[in-house]
Amino acid sequence: MTNRSKLPQIIIASFMLLLFVMAGFLKMDIPELIGDSFTKFVMNGVLVLAMIPMINAGAGMNFGLPVGIVAGLLGMCMAIQFRMTGIFGFLGAVLLSVPPAVILGFFYAKILNMVKGKEDIAAIFIGYSFIPIMNFVWTVIPFTNREMLYPVGGEGLRPKISLEHYFGQVLDKLCTVKIGGISIPLGLIGFYALIALLIYGFFKTKYGTVMLAVGENERFCQLSGIKINRVRTTAIILSTVIGAVGICVYAQSYGFVELYNAPLSHSFPAVSAILIGGCIGRRAGIFHAVLGTYLYQTIYLLSAPIANAILIPQMSEIVRMIITNGIILYAFLKQERRKRS
Amino acid sequence: MKKNILEIKNLTKYFGQNKVLHEVNLSIERGKIHGLVGANGSGKSTIMNILFGNSVISETGGYEGEILLDGEPIRIRSTRDAMKYGFGMIHQEFILIPDMTVAENIKLTRENTKKGASRILGHELSYIDKAQDQEDASSVLNELGFSIDCSYLVKNLSTNAKQFVEIARELDKKNLKFLLLDEPTAVLNDEDSRRLMDVLKKLASKGTSILFCSHRLHEICELCDTVTVIRDGNIISEYQKENMSIPALATDMIGYDIHEAVQKPRMIKEESILSFRDFSVQMPGEQLHGIHLDVKKGEILGLTSLSGHGKLAPGYGVLGIYPSSGSILFEGENLDLSDTGKTIEKGIFLLPDDRKNMGLLLDHSIRENIVFSGFYGKHRFSKKLFGPFSVRDKKSMSRYVEEQIRELGIKCENMNQKTRELSGGNQQKVCIARAAAVRPKVLFISEPTRGVDIGAKEKILDALIRMSREQGTTIIVASSELEELKRISDRIAVLCEGKVSRILPPDASEEEFAYAYTGEEERYDQ
Repeated sequence: MTNRSKLPQIIIASFMLLLFVMAGFLKMDIPELIGDSFTKFVMNGVLVLAMIPMINAGAGMNFGLPVGIVAGLLGMCMAIQFRMTGIFGFLGAVLLSVPPAVILGFFYAKILNMVKGKEDIAAIFIGYSFIPIMNFVWTVIPFTNREMLYPVGGEGLRPKISLEHYFGQVLDKLCTVKIGGISIPLGLIGFYALIALLIYGFFKTKYGTVMLAVGENERFCQLSGIKINRVRTTAIILSTVIGAVGICVYAQSYGFVELYNAPLSHSFPAVSAILIGGCIGRRAGIFHAVLGTYLYQTIYLLSAPIANAILIPQMSEIVRMIITNGIILYAFLKQERRKRS
Repeated sequence: MKKNILEIKNLTKYFGQNKVLHEVNLSIERGKIHGLVGANGSGKSTIMNILFGNSVISETGGYEGEILLDGEPIRIRSTRDAMKYGFGMIHQEFILIPDMTVAENIKLTRENTKKGASRILGHELSYIDKAQDQEDASSVLNELGFSIDCSYLVKNLSTNAKQFVEIARELDKKNLKFLLLDEPTAVLNDEDSRRLMDVLKKLASKGTSILFCSHRLHEICELCDTVTVIRDGNIISEYQKENMSIPALATDMIGYDIHEAVQKPRMIKEESILSFRDFSVQMPGEQLHGIHLDVKKGEILGLTSLSGHGKLAPGYGVLGIYPSSGSILFEGENLDLSDTGKTIEKGIFLLPDDRKNMGLLLDHSIRENIVFSGFYGKHRFSKKLFGPFSVRDKKSMSRYVEEQIRELGIKCENMNQKTRELSGGNQQKVCIARAAAVRPKVLFISEPTRGVDIGAKEKILDALIRMSREQGTTIIVASSELEELKRISDRIAVLCEGKVSRILPPDASEEEFAYAYTGEEERYDQ
């Protein structure tokens, strides 16, 4: 592990520890914070995992995460429409979001394959241009469940749909274990671990290793008779599907399905998290995603109450912005330097 | 005036952790031609780059040690510095601007300007005195014994003419004290090489000192007054003109005696396995314009041309990397080139000349590299798990890789080392092992020995011969090293301007090859 986590990870990890110490001095409930940090971690964790296939196939960071998120939102809306509840409601939402994710991912991949070398920037704009289209769709889509629609007029989906009567926090509350005051959401962590294991396993298969090789050297793979664009398309679809699952996990934990512009706010933190985990450039592992998500989310979680306690309430948001955007910039610089050497 | 124009003391250079020059000491006398020989990666180009202030050096942390010019210590930080001190350099690849005329190329940055205009507008913004430039340029070229109209565009010149333009540009520098040449004869034919050497001798007699870098040992022996042999960044020996000899230089260069790989003459059946019919490839810089060529089953066919005349294109065309037209018959059937996967499955494989960008997964291990194409392209090294699911058979992979490492003599820590860390020669051996794992019927291999030192070179050539002998693989070797092709090939096809100019037996004379290279074979026949 020591050779995988480098200086930036050490700095950020020590910053996190410092925050814990400060929280202790401010007499905050440390066990509760730790418990919350697990929930926050998994809540965002799957969205970060959605970065991995694309990075490994050399298709850049999944800045187009909103595409996957929209698929997930569609899946959840359908589940609500069909009034699916409890854990099966959640699993139903996940399953229902897979077909739209595959379809949207396919077109996302088509575009990215046309702009090879500039995927990152193209993906950002795919996200930005796709959301307004969806904003239109959300207002006209013919769902009939009153709980999803605007209370007045009864037409168009409302921006925030409560999951209280459906599958809100079903994973969070599944098999929670209390150890010394820290409550650990085993069900939530278990679901996350399952997805992570599936991805890990996938990259051990023949097709997974081909994907890694395509990410490293396309020409080489072409000369070995591999269809590059097909592999990249698969990777992008995979990323989109994981993104869709990710937003389902996020929404059940948060308790609300957020439509309209909300998907845009997830991509930069997710990119940032995997970069904090130590992924630079073309190889991303589960380890990067896990470490990065935990560090990123915990710092966010801790900095808010601490900043509020020492009376600079805006500080936490500022710190978060600096970390999110700064780390992306840092990673780009580092990539450029590696290219030159 | 000191006797030595240039003295290098304790020159040391690191690339990252690698020490590529170990306290090199070198002194070069005024008006002498000093040879520098060494295998690839021995550090000779690094010395050249340091002396000419190439940005590669400053970007990787500069150099240590002292350089004395005329007894004065100097520090070369950039090419601009080097030029100021009177260094000139002639590169192996031309550094000329194709869309400018000969005169413009020669006088670039040192143009004559019209006096009146420059008084008003200043030197930088003044009008260029073209007539004066042309006069200067042609007088320099005449000095070289080379007459050419200076108003021609450089892109329309032949390869050797370009080389002379490049030399003329350096000679035109008024303050030129010291000329560096990096393998200048690599692109020239024998006649022009000789002419170049005469010019260099004349230059030296006029007082310009020359550092001449080449791997053509006979040229070094003929031309140089003194020669230094460098190996792995260490100076091995120095010779004066009187006691120079090719065998001694060669032994010093690689440190041991080498066994040359040679293909003995053999009978090849007339049956052809691969036929090119009016086959053209749009490969930038290596265009192929409608070749007709039959490759016979089981032979090693050498494919050579001057650079830019198309020797690399057939392989890339067949594998569908660059767009092509015309047709290919493989075992009598028309081959569809659009699906590279199918082509490989049918038994055609290519090892590219650009190893680092196309031939290796640099961040994967030696093992992964060697088995990759065989495993994914031809489903070797896998065992059935159940139904359609198969997993990698680690045991058979490791066994094959170990066998190849031993047989090809790949120098590595173990099979899990990343290929990025290997030297050029060992990387190429990994590529060859990878191709062998695919067991192709036809193997295209481009520049197999480029960037490879002499020892590894023979191993590689030997491996190709063995592959042909033992597995009956038909091998098409595209190379600019005619001497090697002559040793391993059954036939050699010479291309010129994207067409087959002649197919020659390996024992054809140098003269015949020279004519074929330049496309003048009709004249030769008459």
